Amino acid sequence: MTTNDKRPHEMAISEAELSSMTRELDTMHNDSFSGVKKSLEDFSANLSHLATGKATARRSFLLGAGGLAVVGGVAACSSSGGGSNSASSTSSSPTGSSSATSPYTGDLKVVALAAALENLAVAAYGMALTAAGKGTYGTVPKAIGTFVTVAMSQHKQHAAAWNGVLTKAGLKAVTTPALTITTSEVAKLTAAKTIPEVAMVALGLEQAATETYTFATANVTDAGGIMTAATIQPVEAMHAAILSFVLGQYPVPDSFIGITGAVGPAALTV
Amino acid sequence: MDGNIDERRFRELLVESDDLQSDAMRGARTDLNAYVDAAKEARYESRKDLKVGGVLLGAGVLGAAAFAFAGSASAAASSKDIMALQTAAGLENLAVFTYKTALTLPFIGGSSALPVVKAFVTKTMAQHTEHGAAFNAAVTKLGGKAQTGTDPKYTPVVKKAAPGLKGPADVVSLAITLEDIAAETYTADVGLVSTKELRQLFASVAGVEAQHRAILLAVQALVAGGLVSEIALPPNAAKLPAAAGSVGFPDAFYPTSKAAPVAEGAVK
Repeated sequence: MTTNDKRPHEMAISEAELSSMTRELDTMHNDSFSGVKKSLEDFSANLSHLATGKATARRSFLLGAGGLAVVGGVAACSSSGGGSNSASSTSSSPTGSSSATSPYTGDLKVVALAAALENLAVAAYGMALTAAGKGTYGTVPKAIGTFVTVAMSQHKQHAAAWNGVLTKAGLKAVTTPALTITTSEVAKLTAAKTIPEVAMVALGLEQAATETYTFATANVTDAGGIMTAATIQPVEAMHAAILSFVLGQYPVPDSFIGITGAVGPAALTV
Repeated sequence: MDGNIDERRFRELLVESDDLQSDAMRGARTDLNAYVDAAKEARYESRKDLKVGGVLLGAGVLGAAAFAFAGSASAAASSKDIMALQTAAGLENLAVFTYKTALTLPFIGGSSALPVVKAFVTKTMAQHTEHGAAFNAAVTKLGGKAQTGTDPKYTPVVKKAAPGLKGPADVVSLAITLEDIAAETYTADVGLVSTKELRQLFASVAGVEAQHRAILLAVQALVAGGLVSEIALPPNAAKLPAAAGSVGFPDAFYPTSKAAPVAEGAVK
């Protein structure tokens, strides 16, 4: 692995190859998406009345928001040491950073949070691809290029799925990484000059997403929302395992996925 | 041992991993108690509500019917939880049996085995043992019988496949199948169990089985591509084919079509 080679080589994969990979990927994932589409449609159906303010939904809204508030807010991730790559922590107030006038509440706040997290992952991988194309990391192995392209595409699909719920509920899609952690994550990506450094940032994001969805399975109240989180969580966990493998870390370090690194809803800034 | 594999570093990582694992297990045991307490509480609350409902509704036919319906619904939820946990324990027991069998093979646990593969199989077997123990602990605390046997549907499949395990690729293929079934089952179970704590338990294990599968898929691709020497931590990424980058996560959304039915491994 030429991880310490910082010479400005061209990326080892061409634009055409990247485009081809993306097309193949779209085909590959259509089947799996059809299954989750049903869950999302159910979720949307259950949530669509919420935007109209009907009282029946209020209780589950509060349950959802209250449950996630336990996770706490999100602070900037530690830049080194401690063995933690997590993009989140539990140090800030559950309500401190979140917009007081946010249209996203209860289960829908979790949906918006999930969409923003996915957007952050897409943005991070996009930044990495752009930097790789400029030779920032030296020669990028083809397998790494494939990983970034495919993982980014899957995160796009996850974001689209969550945003579909928001728009069907009459709310605006969350199309940006509107999170308190975004600035610090972008700073870390910008500072990264080698493939392992970029991979470490990505690993932190994937682990945070995995734990966030693990927590969501327990604290979202809608059945469709629970299953959507349940079907995305293993995929983020797989991304994390492969990144660990590439980094030379043991790829499956824990017997149980934890939730201490979950990103709380207070991190949402819209 | 292959020259490209830093066995000492791998053992260090395993020690670090075990440290992390010990921390995780402490958390897991605490969480497991919470799962069980919550499930018991849910059952207690259901019964308490039933009593109140019964009194309020009095001796009327409607009241009796409501009481009976609510009672059966509570019992059904509890029964389903126990069956799901027993089925999960059966799958875990089968995984342990399979990896244990694999470790008796010279190319997995013997002198001709890659140390990295042997260590992964050993560690993965230990993790499945912990999963089985966690599921069975929940079963018994909920009043059910622990599932000490292996999954009835897939045990014959494994036993039939065992004599045909002639090389690492055969073992990896079988393991991928079992890990996928477990991950799909637990993903589906998240939507079937009755408490948030049990949902979290199943999700927390589903992600780990998916990670096992991801690594096995990557190993399978390397073996198939004649790149056994790259089964190392870290691999030489420059030598990997492009497809190796994504072979470990083939689906954007984890499927559930192969999930074992809740009652498949229930103790009769």
